[in-house]
Amino acid sequence: MIEINNADLTKEIAQLIIDTLNIEHVTADQVNIETPLFSDENELELDSVDAIEIVVAIQRSYGIRINSELPTREILNSIQSIADFLVKENAVKKIA
Amino acid sequence: MNNNINFEHKMYAHCETGTLVSLLNNAGYQITEPMVFGIASGIFFGYFETKDFPFPTFIVRSRPGEVRENLAKALNIKLKKFKFKNADEGMKKLDSLLEEGRVVGAQVDFFYMDYFPEWMRVHNNVHFVNILGKEGNNYIISDSYHREIAYLDQNLLRKARWAGGTMAPKGFLFYPEKLDPSVDLSKPIPKSIKKAARNMINLPIPFIGIKGIYKFADKLKTWPGLARDIEHLSHEIMKINILLEDQGTGGAGFRYMYATFLKQASELMNNPKLNEMSERIMEIGDDWRKISYFAAKIGKNRDLGEERIAELSDMIRKQGDAEKVFFKELKKVY
Repeated sequence: MIEINNADLTKEIAQLIIDTLNIEHVTADQVNIETPLFSDENELELDSVDAIEIVVAIQRSYGIRINSELPTREILNSIQSIADFLVKENAVKKIA
Repeated sequence: MNNNINFEHKMYAHCETGTLVSLLNNAGYQITEPMVFGIASGIFFGYFETKDFPFPTFIVRSRPGEVRENLAKALNIKLKKFKFKNADEGMKKLDSLLEEGRVVGAQVDFFYMDYFPEWMRVHNNVHFVNILGKEGNNYIISDSYHREIAYLDQNLLRKARWAGGTMAPKGFLFYPEKLDPSVDLSKPIPKSIKKAARNMINLPIPFIGIKGIYKFADKLKTWPGLARDIEHLSHEIMKINILLEDQGTGGAGFRYMYATFLKQASELMNNPKLNEMSERIMEIGDDWRKISYFAAKIGKNRDLGEERIAELSDMIRKQGDAEKVFFKELKKVY
């Protein structure tokens, strides 16, 4: 299992989203990890169609399945909530 | 007014099942969302191409309200239900139920739930919420799609409860009047599984169940001719993803939720075959998710030539094949 601290994990997730969706106007460092992903305030400027691409990218990258145990909209609320989900699913081990 | 401040609010995958789970759990009746969905035989497929819809569409679960009714019947829950012709009367009744300290389920038009951002709000007459109480002019709402308890202005709730159009809410309210905590959850499971399988493979309607999936695969090839232009077609193709993934389905058109139900049922009934079936529908769900992904991609990129549509149609047809085998075998478990 990958051991990673929260700052690196959230940056890794932001980068994964940026790469998956070919986002050019923002870098991973500029993304607020707590801002709701699909809100107007989020720097990534995502729309609902992007959600499935993010889900598939996370599943492939971390070898997990995002299914009904926890509502997808709760998991995808923010980059931090995705990170929390990966820790909970033992896809990564968070270190201080 | 008792504002039910001890009501435990949680997010759930779907509004109808989530509202029911919340109501039951808060009344001391322990049940999970997948168990509600499974016992109510909620898994389904239907393809519709009628003048009731501006463009062909499909559903992946039983019709709104059926989960509630099937669950109540299976678990011997007596639901008190109200519909109103008059809005004043309907608002007054809600207030009086809240005065009694009840938590009340309500059917609303999602568009008026202004605690969600504007871009999210679309007209949908079959959204369900629980109403916990009232503070001043605001009702206190537990909405399965919202992270926290929300507040909604009384005028907006009134508009939401009396929105017009298809499946108009007509002020519909409900609450569990009588629960039977002694009901063994394992009792209704065999019947509910048989019913779900029958709905998918045996109903003699050419657009329902497995026949509906095949119909969808065939008719998809006609969509380019039905759409006004490429923008319209792309919108409709991307909607496949929305209907499968983005409408509170728990992912993969409720197939993941049904898989979780079978897993929980397997543990409850000590039946390993159900766990095997759970894993198989989970894999079928993975392929529905691939369809979502593919539809979203080709729709977004306007990559909608004949070959691409045929490719998507073929993926859907294979799902028909897989679900046909799956539900035939599931029916034999009990």
